[in-house]
Amino acid sequence: MRIRDIALIGILSAIITAGKLALSFIPNVEVVTLLFIAYTMVFGYKKALLIAVVFTTTEIFIYGFSTWLLGYYLIWPILIMVTELLKKRAKSEYGYAIIGAIFGYTFGFFFAVVESLFYGVAYGWVYWIRGLLFDLVHGTSNFIIILVLLKPIVDILNRLKRTYYGV
Amino acid sequence: MNKKLIAILSVLVVTVLLFVGYKTFLSPKGVEGQKAVTIQVINKNEDVDETFQYNTDHEFLLELLEEKEEELGVTFEHYDIGTMVTGMLGYVANPENQEYFHVYINGEDAMTGPGEIPLNDGDTYIFELKNY
Repeated sequence: MRIRDIALIGILSAIITAGKLALSFIPNVEVVTLLFIAYTMVFGYKKALLIAVVFTTTEIFIYGFSTWLLGYYLIWPILIMVTELLKKRAKSEYGYAIIGAIFGYTFGFFFAVVESLFYGVAYGWVYWIRGLLFDLVHGTSNFIIILVLLKPIVDILNRLKRTYYGV
Repeated sequence: MNKKLIAILSVLVVTVLLFVGYKTFLSPKGVEGQKAVTIQVINKNEDVDETFQYNTDHEFLLELLEEKEEELGVTFEHYDIGTMVTGMLGYVANPENQEYFHVYINGEDAMTGPGEIPLNDGDTYIFELKNY
């Protein structure tokens, strides 16, 4: 890995953290999913996975360590790998918007499973049910954000990538 | 109409329907009418164990706590996901000491915040200072 790549990973993970903080006043509306999908499409899964590790570790510095952050170390790499697999098949942003929507709708369920490993199935069940409305907002907002913003962001990132690497 | 706009509107309509479905079938329901309930506050740090009896028409615990805020010395913290009780009888739980007020309903752990705990006749709600 070149120094240029290391710097890029730092900058791209900082953009995700900044994007998340900027929208943190609206519960469960975020651009993290959009950006991880865009990064995977433009820079490939290997760099995107490293960005996910840096981003999640930064979250620990900001919020302190808690069990939900363990889930972050799994859920973003899962999204990246699903995007990587979809790259060859998806012809338009609709496929990615659907992936983002499913990701948002099942986000709470995934964390409920992780939380239930620590606090028991009853807690996980309540955690999921109580968060369903937030998952609903999450999935729907992901669908809209990705459908509207993915293409312009990927175009910009592709242009910047060409300039950055001089190819 | 633009294809994307149709897709967005369709998803929004489905979301609203699911929202209504959740509110109708899954969200906790309050019980109307007069109820006699007990609130107990236990704080071993301050050697406090006090019990309060109330007759109320409120449907949820949070509404009762808000009405009796002064008498019970309640401190609230408001989050996106709901309201949390951080202090009782003038004592505010100190997060630096990992303190919080654990809520029991008739001796069982409460699974939700006070805004989603329905008041039932004869129930006892215990707020106990604990460490996580």
